[in-house]
Amino acid sequence: MTVHNLYIFDRNGNCLYYNEWNRKKQAGISKEEEFKLMYGMLFSIRSFVSKMSPLDMKDGFLSFQTSRYRLHYYETPSGLKFVLNTDLSVSNARDTLQHIYSNLYVELVVKNPVCPPSLSLDSELFSSRLDVFIRSLPYYSPRAA
Amino acid sequence: MSLFVVAKSQSGQAPRVSWFRWVTPANAACVVFFPFKERAGVDIQRPRRGRLLQSAEHLTGMADEALFEFLHMEMVSHVYKEQQSSKGEMDNKDRAICISVLESMGFRVGQGLIERLTKDSPSFKDELDIMKFVCKDFWTKVFRRQVDNLRTNHQGTYVLQDNKFVLLTQLSSGKQYLDQAPKYLAFSCGVVRGALCNLGLESVVTAEVSIMPSCKFQVVIQKL
Repeated sequence: MTVHNLYIFDRNGNCLYYNEWNRKKQAGISKEEEFKLMYGMLFSIRSFVSKMSPLDMKDGFLSFQTSRYRLHYYETPSGLKFVLNTDLSVSNARDTLQHIYSNLYVELVVKNPVCPPSLSLDSELFSSRLDVFIRSLPYYSPRAA
Repeated sequence: MSLFVVAKSQSGQAPRVSWFRWVTPANAACVVFFPFKERAGVDIQRPRRGRLLQSAEHLTGMADEALFEFLHMEMVSHVYKEQQSSKGEMDNKDRAICISVLESMGFRVGQGLIERLTKDSPSFKDELDIMKFVCKDFWTKVFRRQVDNLRTNHQGTYVLQDNKFVLLTQLSSGKQYLDQAPKYLAFSCGVVRGALCNLGLESVVTAEVSIMPSCKFQVVIQKL
């Protein structure tokens, strides 16, 4: 039961924030390439999902899973994308991501006059609060299952 | 259900007036005017919209706080940008001008606010009574909490310490961004000075921060 890592992207594809808690294997490419890869994948999968959906779409792409991890996705109306990788025991992290957005991001970043929008997040306050929040989640544990 | 329509300000121009129109359940319409400028790249209406679409009881509370905080942020950045537009670099003289502009804005606001807040209270006995009023009722109405510590030397100097000053809590909780803090305190210093002025006390108010979000306002009463 654990959380692996978290990405936050803005409307234009810049990665605003990345943090990892429990990542055993790196991607083998540089961080910029990894962010571009992640954003490109999200963009393609969202348009794929909406095109191929056999019914009217409500929320669109929510998550995908592999045999080892699950990726959860949350997009805000303003185009911010939150991506959380957890292990398979977490079925729905949408509330978590929504909490991170409304209680942490909006409070500490949007309302922070020295954090300009669309640039990497520097605020230590945001980092530390996010860290505390993630570690307090019921499905977080320091060692991966 | 409440509905609101916002006309966006046109980007690239000086701050324009935009308007909100609320349609309350009782179908009374009320028009609120206030100027704001879109922050480059991000639409600041969006996060507020998410909060405003919550239940009606929370609407007025949340909206008031966020409105003033965003407006204050934009005010500070606008004043600094205006001062910087003439030359590339900002020197200490420019910074002092910006701080005094913000402080005088706060002065006028403080004067008006104190009229409103004391219209029903009896007149104050002495200086210390006035300072206690500022620390408790005034601070609660304006900054949503009370001053944590008031110290005085009984000779006209007072130090008001607020451990979680509302305009600094979002910045950091330690030493990060410490050099930027004075910008966001200038307006509040002016508010305090204006309030005291209309209560009959000429003063000089300065603020200092050593660890965010705790800050100390030093009030020196000028004896005529």
